Amino acid sequence: MKELVKKTLNMLNAPDVQFGDVRVTVTDNENIFFERGFLKGAASEIAATSIGVRVLIGGTWGFASTSDMSSTSIEKIVKEAVQNARLGARFKNSPIEYKPVDGIVASYHFDPIKDPFKIPLKEKVSYLGEIASKMGKLDGIVHSIVHTHFYKQYKVYGNTEGTLVDTTVYDARPSMMVSAADQNGFQTRTFPGHMPAQRGGFEVLEKLDFINNIDKIAEEAKELLTAPRVTEDQADIIINNGHLALQLHESVGHATEADRMFGMEISYAGKTFVKENMLGNFKYGSDLVNIYTDASDKRGIGYHPVDDDGIPSKRVDIIKNGVLVDLQTSRYTAAELGLEPSSNMMATHASEFPLIRMSNICIAPGKGSLADLIKDTENGYLLDYTKTWSIDDNRNNFQFTTEIGWKIENGEIKHIVKEPTYFGITKDFWNSCDRICGPEEWGFYGTFYCGKGEPGQVMHLSHGVAPMRFKNVKMLPGN
Amino acid sequence: MNDFIHKLESLMKEYSQYKFQFHFRIWKTEFLRFFRSMTNYNISKEITSASCTMYKGKKSYSFSVDDPTFDKIHKGIEDAISIIDSLPEDPDYVDMDDDTSIAPETKVVNNIESLPLEKKIEILSSISEEAAKREFKIFGTFITNFVKGFVLNSNGVKKEFVTSPIMLDVKAVSDNNMVTVLESFGGPDPDKFNQKEFTDSLMKKVDMACLPVVDAPAGKYEVILSPAAIGEFIGYLMHGAHAATLDQGSSFFQDQLDKKVFPETINITDEPHNENLIPSSYSGSGRTLHDLPIVTNGVFKNFMVDNYYGNKLKMDKNGNEADNLVMGNGGKTVDEMISTVKDGLYISKLHYMNFINPKDMTVTGLTRDGTFLIKDGKIVNVVNNLRYTESIGRIIGAISEIERKRHALPSSENYGAFGISTSLMPHVKVKDFNITSSTETI
Repeated sequence: MKELVKKTLNMLNAPDVQFGDVRVTVTDNENIFFERGFLKGAASEIAATSIGVRVLIGGTWGFASTSDMSSTSIEKIVKEAVQNARLGARFKNSPIEYKPVDGIVASYHFDPIKDPFKIPLKEKVSYLGEIASKMGKLDGIVHSIVHTHFYKQYKVYGNTEGTLVDTTVYDARPSMMVSAADQNGFQTRTFPGHMPAQRGGFEVLEKLDFINNIDKIAEEAKELLTAPRVTEDQADIIINNGHLALQLHESVGHATEADRMFGMEISYAGKTFVKENMLGNFKYGSDLVNIYTDASDKRGIGYHPVDDDGIPSKRVDIIKNGVLVDLQTSRYTAAELGLEPSSNMMATHASEFPLIRMSNICIAPGKGSLADLIKDTENGYLLDYTKTWSIDDNRNNFQFTTEIGWKIENGEIKHIVKEPTYFGITKDFWNSCDRICGPEEWGFYGTFYCGKGEPGQVMHLSHGVAPMRFKNVKMLPGN
Repeated sequence: MNDFIHKLESLMKEYSQYKFQFHFRIWKTEFLRFFRSMTNYNISKEITSASCTMYKGKKSYSFSVDDPTFDKIHKGIEDAISIIDSLPEDPDYVDMDDDTSIAPETKVVNNIESLPLEKKIEILSSISEEAAKREFKIFGTFITNFVKGFVLNSNGVKKEFVTSPIMLDVKAVSDNNMVTVLESFGGPDPDKFNQKEFTDSLMKKVDMACLPVVDAPAGKYEVILSPAAIGEFIGYLMHGAHAATLDQGSSFFQDQLDKKVFPETINITDEPHNENLIPSSYSGSGRTLHDLPIVTNGVFKNFMVDNYYGNKLKMDKNGNEADNLVMGNGGKTVDEMISTVKDGLYISKLHYMNFINPKDMTVTGLTRDGTFLIKDGKIVNVVNNLRYTESIGRIIGAISEIERKRHALPSSENYGAFGISTSLMPHVKVKDFNITSSTETI
């Protein structure tokens, strides 16, 4: 594939081509899905291959892609990409500036402990079937699902600056869910939560020990049917990792994508309340809050040696001691803002146009265990496992409901609460943080489904988080 | 494509001890995305894909292939044969669809050819010039797709489909304060796009967007919901009208069949062949689609039932998927509806709505692309985007007036093959709409 990329790059030799890049991806996906104890889907997509060509001409991008890897087809998309850029340049009021960078040649190939694509399907089905069978027999549970998605992607990225990088990654996304329903309503519990994806193979599923967590989530789902709701309109809350990753994702991750600031996502994903003049002085969070993007951390599924803009991976502080200091940027947006590009331009497949995407967005850990933090909380709630999420066009007003909450009184967990819902303004919320747990509670939580762009792309990315406490958060009291 | 179908049919004969369902699709898009009144990027993309689900008794296995050839599919089947015996049976196994009826043929123009990039840029340049006179820039997407494919199975289903939707979303954004308003066009027929009407309508909204911006406190408001806004609420309501949710215990309409659930003025149908909308001939399993009344005079009339749940729940199958929703109209103009609002809101568009609990249809979400304050029957201010926390059932039940005119609106699934569908919706007036907070931004 490297030779194919080089050969295609050589076709981008027209004198008006300012910059060009070529990507090839070969992607394997396997999904195994049980419902109510029975296998409902075993599906694979092996070696889905595509090639994409991006060119900058006259300060305007053109792009074309195909899944047909024949030389005729590739010649056709090169012409289409060039033509798209030339025609697109007729609707322009300021050209895209592109600061050159030195070319890089690199390779990275992740080796899972247990390659899921080499394990016979029968074994994987048998492993998950045992879990599903136990779930399907639970009293009081009306619906249950076990699902695992294994993913492997080989990618080659090359550009006209001499960069040529190939990578292989493996990710796994195991999840299970039970639902209980009666005259009191319908309640669901999931495990291990909203962001269960990890870099790795079959071992990711094994480590989660689903079989020994079934009874707990089933009991919680049933108990939630009759559990009380939050009654206060304001409370101190501790957010555990099963939900905190999403809070970070929505109200810091997306908000600090520079393309939103430029309006490049207005037509679909939205804008951001963050403005250029906030850099270096906007108090985004309390002094404890340190948030960074780190595409160079190989533990997270957002790792890459070089992004789809030719920028080597790096760690960049976004919020330092509570102050907004940088953004997730592309070469274009970084140049416009006088910043260095942060290595966050990625596309899901070669057939798609790269966008500014989160890689590994993390909160730096503080001190102490979750148990210590609960003991230190006089009156409040521990919230976990995302149920409902919603945030505005500018990423300024959010509202989240978690699947479950626990009432804390005098440093002790008292009882569970149903559908705890909190809301707030991004800046006020992060400034209300008064504790972050330590490295022993810190971990990566990943998703396969971060949606952005048009045509839409779903990106694999992850977040490093440790439980945090927030003071006087607005709650939506229930009946 | 016919040759390919014949080859797959011969494969099905060769492996007659198995049953098969094939989906095949060629998807092309010309996708122009623009921002700040200039091109962001142009994409030409063509993806050909096929999927096969293979059954042996109550066992099944699926695989998909990009850039499919007969040889690739043949190999996939050979691989599947080596796997399928090792899989457990599904006691809830349901045979694949057996509806062999064919939908009436519709003439489809390839809109990628009828609306080339040069023409799109000409249209956008003209709209951009009008917006610039008011110190606004335009942002959005101009998409033409061409999709053709087929569904083929061992029960004799052989359905070919072709569609070529157009979708134009133009957001005009103020240079001064980022106030945003939206105009959309969607449908199968480029001749129905009237550039002057489109531009005039957008500029009327731009003029509204020049009003001073204020905040609105949390509380209950009388609101006028735009066709896009009520369309989105009804789209979410349809979650509870799918038989799948009935099976899973999360349907809002459980035990409500033939019961009055909304006021008599409420009528909702799925109309796959409505000439104003992008047609949908067949469901995913190949069932021929027909008009389906869902709510008639306030009475819940039908669940949407696919092949699987039809068999499982012993319900009549219809295959409808709510891709062509039509809401019954009323007797007022939108100006008449606004004129009777003393202290309320006009909501143009919803954003990031999500269920709190699907069974009781409680949701939270936000407004975007133009929220306006109405005082004494007139729009007087732009309002910061707002959060609502509501029950969709309550909202539909609290509709007091419905517009006479209905508007065809495009929407896209965005992910996967960027499917574009359309609905036909009027403005509606709703009492006591629950605003729970302000976003403090526009």
